[in-house]
Amino acid sequence: MTSPENIEKLIRNAEISSNPLVNKAVLGDLLKQFDIAGEKQKASVTPPNKRRIIMKSPITKIAVAAAILIAVTLGLCEFIGTGSQAGIVWAEVASKVQASRGLIVRCTETTSVMPFDADYTMNYFSPTHSRTDFYKAGQITHTFYTDFTAPNTKTLTAVYHTHKHYLSRTFDKSGHEFLLEQHDDWMNPRYLIQTILSCEHTKLGQKTIDGVLCEGIETTDPAMMGPLPGPVDLLEVHLRLWVDAETKYPVLFKSKIRVEAEGQAVSSEGVMDQFQWDVELDPSFLEPHIPPDYKDMRNL
Amino acid sequence: MLEDRLLVWKFKHGSKDAFCRIYEKYRDDLLRLALSLLNEADIAEDVVHDVFTSFIRNRRQFRLTGNLKSYLATCVANRARNENRSYQRRHKTGPDVADSVTLDSSRPDHWIITSDEFRRLNEALKQVPYDQRETVILRAQSDMKFRQIAETQHVPIKTAQSRYRAGLNKLRSLLNSEVTQ
Repeated sequence: MTSPENIEKLIRNAEISSNPLVNKAVLGDLLKQFDIAGEKQKASVTPPNKRRIIMKSPITKIAVAAAILIAVTLGLCEFIGTGSQAGIVWAEVASKVQASRGLIVRCTETTSVMPFDADYTMNYFSPTHSRTDFYKAGQITHTFYTDFTAPNTKTLTAVYHTHKHYLSRTFDKSGHEFLLEQHDDWMNPRYLIQTILSCEHTKLGQKTIDGVLCEGIETTDPAMMGPLPGPVDLLEVHLRLWVDAETKYPVLFKSKIRVEAEGQAVSSEGVMDQFQWDVELDPSFLEPHIPPDYKDMRNL
Repeated sequence: MLEDRLLVWKFKHGSKDAFCRIYEKYRDDLLRLALSLLNEADIAEDVVHDVFTSFIRNRRQFRLTGNLKSYLATCVANRARNENRSYQRRHKTGPDVADSVTLDSSRPDHWIITSDEFRRLNEALKQVPYDQRETVILRAQSDMKFRQIAETQHVPIKTAQSRYRAGLNKLRSLLNSEVTQ
């Protein structure tokens, strides 16, 4: 009778060896990939020179990195892609999303810097406006409204219910504010989906999420982030997107991103769920609603 | 352990020599692990090749929190599990990779060279359910702790321990019946 100890010993002692010629060939191939990976890493984390000049301060660099992380998560809210060369399912996803008139989605995010002062946000998008309600302990603490109607500007209005303050500001899209420029890239609906599909990504197969059969893709390709606004020492990206296999609408998006620069690290984890696609939103709901007793922050 | 930390540090900083050392040091263990899990030399070789490739690609981001051998073994186990799942998806009736193939590494172009003893053991192992087989192999062959195995399998430690016991018992009865035949 063989004892469990003997079985363990048998497993431990059952050796294999490897073919020396193949060992050498495989190592040669891996070393080539070592060189390629080194070049690719440099390319993906080295930004254009003009941005490097802007990014002199490490603190600014970290702040920008954090802004990118947030923008990545928010950007998926309204991603649209057309003409994708990916498989039928993903091309269909792109066209369905593009055809969607309005979108509601819940976002939950944690970042290691810029503390996210909300349990979650509810985001509402129409082709010309967006609204974000920040929830803390079940109450809306503040609301951001964005108006994209004007061709060259966009207006952001922040209404802080806790302090009864508000602030409205118009941004010039053609300005030199690189943060806005970067933000616009990630908020550009075409950009995000096309970037995911054009980066190295893998299909995750099927999975049931909340009773819905979904198909997923994921990417860990740092090239997903595109040119960064400053040099970084480390960039880890892990994005997963799940789409309803029947309706072809996204149902869940998860992101994990970590950036390190000059000894400081920023990490972010985001989840987008409770998507409602192709909803018709009342335009007045997306217009800033400022109660009469709220004070303009510029006058404080 | 200390040597591994030094190797990883050098590897992260672009040392090809450090990578070669890691490759030489763990290659055969990883091949053995992959083959034990999948019992198919071609797929097992691909899995190990992919693990090393991914290790190279992500070297800058890589952080060694435990020991390197366990980390690489976990990578192999994860990929082997994926291979097994995709095999099962393609063949909806349910056998896993190991059930459906006979181990054959006699081809001269194969990376792995197996012994008779290994082949005999794997014939029995492939009859053990995949989760149990994985637990037994990771524990007995790769010296992983139950805590690490449980994390890899996303199950409680007790589940990993019971899988190990069940797998070992199954294997024991298979090998004993082979002896009595």
